[in-house]
Amino acid sequence: MSDSATLGQPALPHYDTPPVVTARDLVKVYGSGETGVRALDGVNVDFTRGAFTAIMGPSGSGKSTLMHCLAGLDTATSGSIMVGRTDLTQLREKQLTQLRRDRIGFVFQSFNLLPMLTAERNILLPSQIAGRTIDRDRFDHIVDVVGLRQRLDHLPATLSGGQQQRVAVARALLSAPEVVYADEPTGNLDSRTGAEILTFLRESAEELRQTIVMVTHDPVAAAYAERVVFLRDGRLVDELNDPTAQSVLDRLVHLEA
Amino acid sequence: MLRTTLAGLRLHKGRLVTTVLAIALGVLFVSGTLVFTDSLRTGFEDTTMGATDRLASVVLPDTENWDPQSEEEPRLTPTLRDDIADLPEVGAATGIISGDAPLLDQDGQALGQVPTAGLSVTEDTRYSPETGTLPSAADEVALATTTAEQTGFDVGDTVEVLDPEGQAHAFTVTGLIDVSIGDPYLIRGAVAFTESTAVTMTGHTDYSEINVRAAADTPDAEVTTAVEDAVGGPGVEVLSGTEMGERLAESGGADAATMNMALLLFALVSVAVAGLVVYNTFAILLAQRQRELALLRCVGAHRGQVLRGVLLEAFIVGLTGATLGVLGGIGVGYVGFYLGGDSFGAAVSASSLTVSPVAIGAGLSVGLVTTMAAALVPALRATRVSPLAALRSSAVAHGLERRAGWLRSGAGLLLGLVSATMLWLALGSQGGQTAMLLVTLAGMVAFLAVVVLGPLLVRGAIAGAEVPIRRLGVASRLAVDNAGRSPKRAATAMLALTVGATLITGYAVINASVERTLLNQLDEQFPADYTITQQFDLSSPEQANEPGDGETNHTDTDTATATAVDAAEGVAPAVVSALEDAPEVDTVFSELRATAPGLEAGQRIPVSAYLGATVGTDLTAEVEAGELTDLGPGRAVISEDHAGSHTVGDTVQLDTERGETELEIVAVVGDMQQLWGLTMAPDQFTEEFPSVTEATAVNVRADPDADPADVRDVVYEAAEDPTLQVTSTAEARSEFTEILDTAFLAVAAMLGLSVLIAVFGIANTMALSVLERSRESALLRALGLSRSQLRRMLVVEAVLLCVIGSGIGIGLGVLFGWAAGAVTLPSMLTVIPWSQIAMFLGIAVLAGIIAAILPSRRASRTSVTSALARE
Repeated sequence: MSDSATLGQPALPHYDTPPVVTARDLVKVYGSGETGVRALDGVNVDFTRGAFTAIMGPSGSGKSTLMHCLAGLDTATSGSIMVGRTDLTQLREKQLTQLRRDRIGFVFQSFNLLPMLTAERNILLPSQIAGRTIDRDRFDHIVDVVGLRQRLDHLPATLSGGQQQRVAVARALLSAPEVVYADEPTGNLDSRTGAEILTFLRESAEELRQTIVMVTHDPVAAAYAERVVFLRDGRLVDELNDPTAQSVLDRLVHLEA
Repeated sequence: MLRTTLAGLRLHKGRLVTTVLAIALGVLFVSGTLVFTDSLRTGFEDTTMGATDRLASVVLPDTENWDPQSEEEPRLTPTLRDDIADLPEVGAATGIISGDAPLLDQDGQALGQVPTAGLSVTEDTRYSPETGTLPSAADEVALATTTAEQTGFDVGDTVEVLDPEGQAHAFTVTGLIDVSIGDPYLIRGAVAFTESTAVTMTGHTDYSEINVRAAADTPDAEVTTAVEDAVGGPGVEVLSGTEMGERLAESGGADAATMNMALLLFALVSVAVAGLVVYNTFAILLAQRQRELALLRCVGAHRGQVLRGVLLEAFIVGLTGATLGVLGGIGVGYVGFYLGGDSFGAAVSASSLTVSPVAIGAGLSVGLVTTMAAALVPALRATRVSPLAALRSSAVAHGLERRAGWLRSGAGLLLGLVSATMLWLALGSQGGQTAMLLVTLAGMVAFLAVVVLGPLLVRGAIAGAEVPIRRLGVASRLAVDNAGRSPKRAATAMLALTVGATLITGYAVINASVERTLLNQLDEQFPADYTITQQFDLSSPEQANEPGDGETNHTDTDTATATAVDAAEGVAPAVVSALEDAPEVDTVFSELRATAPGLEAGQRIPVSAYLGATVGTDLTAEVEAGELTDLGPGRAVISEDHAGSHTVGDTVQLDTERGETELEIVAVVGDMQQLWGLTMAPDQFTEEFPSVTEATAVNVRADPDADPADVRDVVYEAAEDPTLQVTSTAEARSEFTEILDTAFLAVAAMLGLSVLIAVFGIANTMALSVLERSRESALLRALGLSRSQLRRMLVVEAVLLCVIGSGIGIGLGVLFGWAAGAVTLPSMLTVIPWSQIAMFLGIAVLAGIIAAILPSRRASRTSVTSALARE
């Protein structure tokens, strides 16, 4: 996979395309009254179609909470989140589940796969849950791109960490969701394997025009994105286009100061 | 280490609740049984003592050397009573006369197979009225409470009792007397008269016991000594009132002991199942806590400390469960005694409640030992956790068990083979105790094989269930995958259910087979609508022999005719001809029987003939050889056990009343059924045994067009002699079916508790798996599985486990139920009660749904984000 990597020339960012996901005045308060913690304190952010965006920030800055709210895993206290024309904050539990099932893909840091299912069945799981017919051509394409052809009938326990994460990515991409959320997707991998996954995510954004939002605290990982947004104390404080590991690190140091 | 264990217990107490409950239920059964039977025994003593402690002593005839087959029952003479009454220590000495006094029921027929007893009762005897008064006039009687219940007679009613000549006398019921447990009259039934009436009605003047009351200011012990000195000796037994009470209570206590054994056996099953549940809980909990244990090892705990910690945990769990169980058992035992003690004849009062130290001790130790023994293997496994495990990621705590191992399959198959061989040997043998023991052992070995092969069976069953279940949608597909992911765990959980399912199914098969077999025999035996027989006579020793022992009766001296009741021989020919003349009756056939010297020296053979019936069509039996319809003059049908070396075509010699006669055997039939002994043609029988004129049984088949009520009237009219017993086949069948159904319900209820415990176990396994898989559940929810789909996934998984577990149990139950039936009764017709089995499967599905309720609610309510955030 790394052979086909095209790290040198990032494509032009899609500033002009309409956003797929829009958050306005997003507030998330845990607890209530005096002891309440404002994990998100008025966040406004857009993610445009085909963009690969990284959300960064120090621990406790609210980046995971932001992702959970954007993905419909958690409910915001106030504000609005639009996915396409749908306002997530107006949906009930059942509709949220359906939205996740049909329009959103996930890659988590670890424990991405169901241990009793083979790689293939893990990849096909969301389609099966939704009862969708499987696009075999797209499945074959994605499997070949992530290089899992030989491993399809293996159980997760017999796959390496990198392979497991590639299965997770393939699963997220198979149904061409409107947006894929990745939560520290390389957190548990060695740097070489991590680089493979990140390159693959970036290529997906570029070639398949797949919108990807990634939460990370690793500047090197963030550098694979086209755009980095910085979060601190529940607020969006900064933003960086065409980042490099160094520029991200500089901003972080500046933020922490 | 103690503190760590206690802190751990506090943290995980939610996970142990069902385990504690499982143990508590098992212990409850044990303690409840002991409390119940102990209380019952005390209750028996209370009733019998209540009746006898008013007496100073009781004098009984010595019955030790009495042979009821040949001698009259020994009695005490009135002279003896007078001697006792004359003693200065004695206030009153009252003799009790007893003998046959057949009470007629509402239909005017003598009550029961055995005539009721007639007693003479006064204020000074051990019988006292429960309601009303004792009889004081010649036309008054008191009935035993059990007799009143049986017949529906009550105080104020008029009843009829037969005297020794068979004449009916009318009496007014003045009261009901309590006949306590252990008294022979409890089952037989009793009618109490004044002494002079008793003499008339029973034909006896001697006493069967003398009740002695102390003179004023004389201690009971002195009275007993005085009586003993005065009349004690050979043939006379003197007991104190207390001793008499104890003797009566003893025979009641023997009943309590039998019941105690039976109930404890069922309790044992429950305890064993609870042990399985404990084992599985600890195995799963410790697997989940591997990192915690490894951390303990990392900070310096050695293996012994880890082991002790786990065992201490088991001790606390066992103690809690056992304590709860003992408390519950005392409650259940008492409630059971309070509600059911009465029907066993025990006095129910708060003072009878007996909580013996044994009941408490046994409950506690059974609970503790079971829990700790069950936890031992998981605990030993826990000590083998390497300290390094603390550092490993616990993403999948112990991976997936994929390999079953050749050792396991080999051992399992070997055990299966051993079981099959034992079964084969048992079925090939002659039956009896050894065969039954072999079948039981084979069943145990087969169960062991299932235990060993459990994980493989789970996997196989899941593979089989996969195809149909997968069609039911993604939730069911995932459930199938989950059920198969840790076959060992699933196997242990379901085995707990298999135990109950095997036993219940096995019993159901035996019950249904016995019912069918005996009903079939009833059909063969009574190919009729009504059967008329003579009431069994207890008073004359000759009659106590095999009924229809006609030959010896009449060739011997006149002892038989000397006894009072002569009518008790059989059904008179007049009855038969009356029935034959009735238009409502289609056929009547009577069974004549005599006994002749057997074909081999020292043996006797029953010889029968059926007047009015054709052997081979009206009456059949399992034919070993020959043809039943060939029976005719000079020919005979013989049963296998009497045939000896003779077969069809042989000619045998038979000694009859007329002398020797030669008979050609035309058919040999199986043992212990219809046509037992030797059967000859009716005409020849009347020639050979002219003295036998009365039938042992008369069978009546109604005209199919006749009104059943008319038929009934005709039959009862013909059987006007009140000592004749009329049995309706339909009534006999329904009574019989009712008894078997009740027995089945009782046994099923006893085993039901073990099923309940197993359901706890499955619920617990599900709950622990749900905890373990909270990350997975969150992932599935994130990927779009709805709450109801998640719930359905868990329900299907639990149902699958329950159905596999009970399915294996049903299979084993059918196999061994059939085998047990086949070795007990070679002619057993095996019936597989499909509708009951379908019901068991339905219950298994329901059990699965119930077991999954709480775990699935919990799983579906867990927040996705917090579960994802958890390590």
